[in-house]
Amino acid sequence: MRITAFANRNIKELIRDPLSYVFCLGFPVVMLLLMSVINKSIPAQANMTVFRIDNLCAGITVFGLTFLMLFAALLSSKDRTSSFLTRLYASPMTAFDFIAGYYLPMLLLALIQCVITFGVSLIIAAVEGVSLSIGGILLAIVTLIPSMILFIGFGLLFGCKFSDKAAPGLCSAVISAAAILGGIWMDVDAIGGAIEKICCILPFYHSVTAARLAVAGNIGECGKDLLIVCAYMIVVAALSVIAFRQNMTKDK
Amino acid sequence: MNAIEIKELTKKYKDFTAVDKLDLTIGEGELFGLLGVNGAGKTTTIKMLSCLSKPTSGTAVLMGNSITEKPDEVKKIISISTQETAVAPNLTVRENLEFIAKIYSVPDPKAAADNVIADFSLGEKENARTKTLSGGWQRKVSIAMALITSPQILFLDEPTLGLDVLARRELWNVIRQLKSKMTIILTTHYLEEAEALCDRIAIMTSGKLRAIGTAEELKQLAGKESFEDAFIEIAENAGKEEIK
Repeated sequence: MRITAFANRNIKELIRDPLSYVFCLGFPVVMLLLMSVINKSIPAQANMTVFRIDNLCAGITVFGLTFLMLFAALLSSKDRTSSFLTRLYASPMTAFDFIAGYYLPMLLLALIQCVITFGVSLIIAAVEGVSLSIGGILLAIVTLIPSMILFIGFGLLFGCKFSDKAAPGLCSAVISAAAILGGIWMDVDAIGGAIEKICCILPFYHSVTAARLAVAGNIGECGKDLLIVCAYMIVVAALSVIAFRQNMTKDK
Repeated sequence: MNAIEIKELTKKYKDFTAVDKLDLTIGEGELFGLLGVNGAGKTTTIKMLSCLSKPTSGTAVLMGNSITEKPDEVKKIISISTQETAVAPNLTVRENLEFIAKIYSVPDPKAAADNVIADFSLGEKENARTKTLSGGWQRKVSIAMALITSPQILFLDEPTLGLDVLARRELWNVIRQLKSKMTIILTTHYLEEAEALCDRIAIMTSGKLRAIGTAEELKQLAGKESFEDAFIEIAENAGKEEIK
């Protein structure tokens, strides 16, 4: 009951903020359309496939998920810096109630975001005559669940440790890192060198790669990428839980 | 039966002692006032009693539950209205009330919200998002949220701060109606508020309890006609003792 009540409250806080629609739902769709238009103007001789819808959809979906981190950070940091969370700390709510209450609505929003982004991708693929299977997309959504938890975890971690002014700045840094080093806009394998090594160390590239492989129907090949994302997910989610528990026991 | 038994409750922040070996007993159904100048230790005491802050030493027992040993049990029977308004900004007044009722497992959250909305005359704003309300209205909602759980012990930390005269008098009436239904600990800077509402009043300065009694007893103790003069006398004497 307590988890449901808190999760409901958080869903309402999110869906009543117009920025949620702009960044979480509208922005990925606009990016998909824009990049598809750009892709059309790239000559076939360039042999550049990164902006083709079957490659693009997974990358844009991951990019969209990074904005959930921003919303998780804003929601938790605003709650923390106002007296609202202090008031709830004096209630029977446990640390588990709080953490589940923050994660569950964010996960729901992430799933909706994925469905919309991939749904629009299917339409674009049909218009462009590119083959995109629904089965592959469903598997891609499954492979993105660890990434959803990872980004929400980042958001809660920043929200627990930093103010509602500082946390969005840190989120912007991670969003930029994910966009540049995730291989969303560029072919990391073709670049090689130090950049490729950095991309491989961080989870973003693996998150995009796993989803791309799933979309392409090669789910069996994404084990290593998924493992790396899961390892990051466990560490970041654990850190976010620790940070939240520290806030709960700290003097108010 | 005693609702609250405080034994040598102490809170230190490095070298600063915010609350110094506080001993106090508050009866069930009593409306007890904590008075003191800024930094006297009133809010720190409330925070320790409501399990928001851990005592450095000493303890307090609330309705048989120790704040250091059974904080989860304490949290079920208390409610607090903090100094700052504590509302969810994008939720309506009714949603805020029902939300709090649900996390305290109130059997019928909707009916409980109906009652509190009627008691606090919140009807005209019940569907307004709290972020759109004035500071005074938000404070009313914040206090209504503390009451919807029907707590055994209610902490009101400067509940009328920022309210206009009419809203303050309205809230006084609500607090009077709660008298004897629950134990209420009230901190305030308004001396007339403490005098008008409280069964007993404790005066704190520099984290220490300086005097305790009814408003009349405190006036007699200080040898003053008005409660304000009595408060000043007690607080200043305590200050002089500190300097010695």
